Amino acid sequence: MIVSGYGIVAATAWPWKAALFPLVIGVPLFALAAAEALWTLFGGNATSDEARDFQLSTGEDALRRTLGAAGWICAFFAAIVLLGFPIAVPLFVFLYLKLQGREGWGISIAITLGTWAVFYGLFDLLLHLPFPEGWLVAWLSFS
Amino acid sequence: MLEALLQGLVLVLQWKALAFMLLGILLGFWVGLLPGLGGATTLALMLPFIYTMQPVEAFAFLLGMHSVTATTGDITSVLFGVPGEAASAATVLDGYAMAKKGEAGRALGAALASSLVGALVGAVALALAIPVVRPLVLTFGSPELFMLALVGIAFIAALSSPGGRGMLRGFLAGALGLFLGTIGQDPQAGVARYALGTLYLWQGLDLVPVLVGLFAIPEIIDLVVRGTSIAGAAPAGQLSRGALEGVKDTFRHFWLTIRCSLIGTFIGILPGMGGAVAQWMAYGHATQSARTAEERRGFGQGDVRGVLGPGAANNSKEGGALIPTIAFGVPGSTAMAILLGGFYLLGLVPGPDMLSKHLAVTFSMVWTIVIANVITVIACFALLNKLAQLTTVRGSLLIPVILVLVFIGSYTSNNHYGDLVLTLVFGAVGYLMVLSGWPRAPLVLGLVVGKIAENNLYISIARYEAAWLTRPVVLVLIAITVGVIVYPLVQARRRAATARA
Repeated sequence: MIVSGYGIVAATAWPWKAALFPLVIGVPLFALAAAEALWTLFGGNATSDEARDFQLSTGEDALRRTLGAAGWICAFFAAIVLLGFPIAVPLFVFLYLKLQGREGWGISIAITLGTWAVFYGLFDLLLHLPFPEGWLVAWLSFS
Repeated sequence: MLEALLQGLVLVLQWKALAFMLLGILLGFWVGLLPGLGGATTLALMLPFIYTMQPVEAFAFLLGMHSVTATTGDITSVLFGVPGEAASAATVLDGYAMAKKGEAGRALGAALASSLVGALVGAVALALAIPVVRPLVLTFGSPELFMLALVGIAFIAALSSPGGRGMLRGFLAGALGLFLGTIGQDPQAGVARYALGTLYLWQGLDLVPVLVGLFAIPEIIDLVVRGTSIAGAAPAGQLSRGALEGVKDTFRHFWLTIRCSLIGTFIGILPGMGGAVAQWMAYGHATQSARTAEERRGFGQGDVRGVLGPGAANNSKEGGALIPTIAFGVPGSTAMAILLGGFYLLGLVPGPDMLSKHLAVTFSMVWTIVIANVITVIACFALLNKLAQLTTVRGSLLIPVILVLVFIGSYTSNNHYGDLVLTLVFGAVGYLMVLSGWPRAPLVLGLVVGKIAENNLYISIARYEAAWLTRPVVLVLIAITVGVIVYPLVQARRRAATARA
C-alpha cells in the first residue's frame, strides 16, 4: 500500500503521458494491497492458499544459518565494491571454502585458482569486460 | 518453394557455412550457461566478425549461436536455480525443484527434448508462415498487444497459487511487477519516474539482475541452510537414468509440448514481446493443463510439465521472431534487432526480396535453426549425466562458485554496481515472497511485459481513444481474461459444494 500510494501521489505531478500507466496500474495495485491487508487482519492466514513454487528448509538453527548466508552474500558485495572483482573473487571463494565450508587447504586453493582463472581468462582477457578498481584500492593508489 | 527449401539446406551444409555454424554453436553453448551474458549481447559482440562472410555463412554463425543460448540457458536454471538467460527463468520453478528431488537428469532431459521439439515447431512455422504472415501480424495492433499482456498476467496470477486468497496475491504480485516496470524514463514525455535521484534507475530495472536476485539468492540461502548437496539425500541411481525419462516425458505430454511451442512461436511473431514473455505464458498454460487442484499444487514442486512448457516455448519463439524480421524488417526482440543490423551489413534488405530473390537464404536460416538445435541437444545429451552429477557435489563447494557467477552475471548486464544492489534488493524480495508463500512468477511476468503494455496502452488511447476497447480481437481477449479469473473460482466453489454434499 505504501509503495502504490507513493506511486500514485508522485504520478499526479507528471504530464498525463507519463502518468497514465502508473495511475492505471497504481490504483488497482493500491486496491489489491488494501484487500490483502484487510484479509490478513480479519480473515486469518490460510496456508492452503500459499504459493508453493519453492519450499524453504526449516530446522533447529535455520535462522542462524539464514543470517549467516545473508552475511556472506553481503560481505561478498562489500568486497567487490571496496576491492574490485579481481581481488574480491579469489578472496571470497577462498575464505568461504576455508571458514564456512571447512574444506582442506588443497581443495580450497584448487577451487580458488580455478574460479579465478575462469574469471580472468574469460571475462577479462577474452571479453575485455570493464571491471573497475575497488573504492579502497583506488583510494590507496591515489594517496 | 520446395526447390528453394532444398537449396537452403545445401547452402547450410557447405563446409564453410557448417564450420561457422559449429563455431557459433560452441560460443552460444557457453554464453547460455553463463548467467547475465545474454544471447543478444553476444550477437552484438560478434556482429563485426561477419563483414567478410557470405550471407549464408554469416547467418549460420549468428543464428547458430543465438538459437542454442536458450537451450543451454535452461541447464543452469535446472542445476543451480540460477537462470542463464532472462528467458530461462520459468524453468527454475519446476526444474530446480526436480533437481532437489534428485531428478536433475530427468529435468534436463525434458528441457532439452522439449527445446528440440520447440525449435523444430518454430522452424516449421517460419517456413509455413512466409506466405501467410502478413494478415496475421496486421491483426495485432497496439490494443490487442496490450490485452495480450494482460491475458498473460491473468493466466499466471490466477493459476500460480490456489484459492481466492492465492489469486488475490497472484494479481497483487502481477500488478506490482507492472508497476515496477514503470521505473525509469518514460518513453512518451521523458520524465524520470521513481528514479530516487539516481541516474542508474533512469533506464529502468534491468531484467537480469532482478531475475538472478529473485530466483538465485533464495536458492543459495536455502542451500546454505540445508548444508547438503543440491540433490540432498535423493537416491543416487535416479540421476543417471533420468535423462531418458525426461525425453519420454516430452512424448508423454507431447500435445502440451506442441501447444507450448505454438504459444512460443506466436509470441515470437508479435513485435516486442520477447522470449521471457513466451516462457511465462507457456508456463501458465502448462499449469492450466493440471486437471485437479491437487495436481496444480504439484507445479513449483517439481512437475515435469513445468519444465516442458517453458523449454518448448523458449526455443520455438526464435523461428517466430524471425518471421516479422525477415518479412517486414520489424524485429520482434533485441536479438532480432541486432540480427537485422547483420542483414544491412551484408547488403540484404528485409522485406519482399527475402521472400522472392533471396528465398534460398531465408530457408537456409530455417535449416540453421533446425541443425543447430539438433547438434546442441545431441552434445548436451552426451554430457547430461555428468552435468546432473553436479547436483551431488556438496553445497559448500558449489555455493562460492555459484555466488561468483551470480554477481558477475548481474554486473555484466550494465557494468554498474547498481546491478549488484538490484540483485541484493530483489534477492531479499524473493526470499520474503518465498517465506510468506507469495508467487514470484506473476511479478516477473508483470515486470517483463510492463514496458510493452505501457507503450501499447498509450498508443491505443492516443490513436483510438476509448474505441480500442470495442475491437473484435480485444473483446475476445477481454472475455478470455475474465474467463481465466472466474473459471478457477467457479471450479473451487463447485468442489466445495461437492465436498459438502
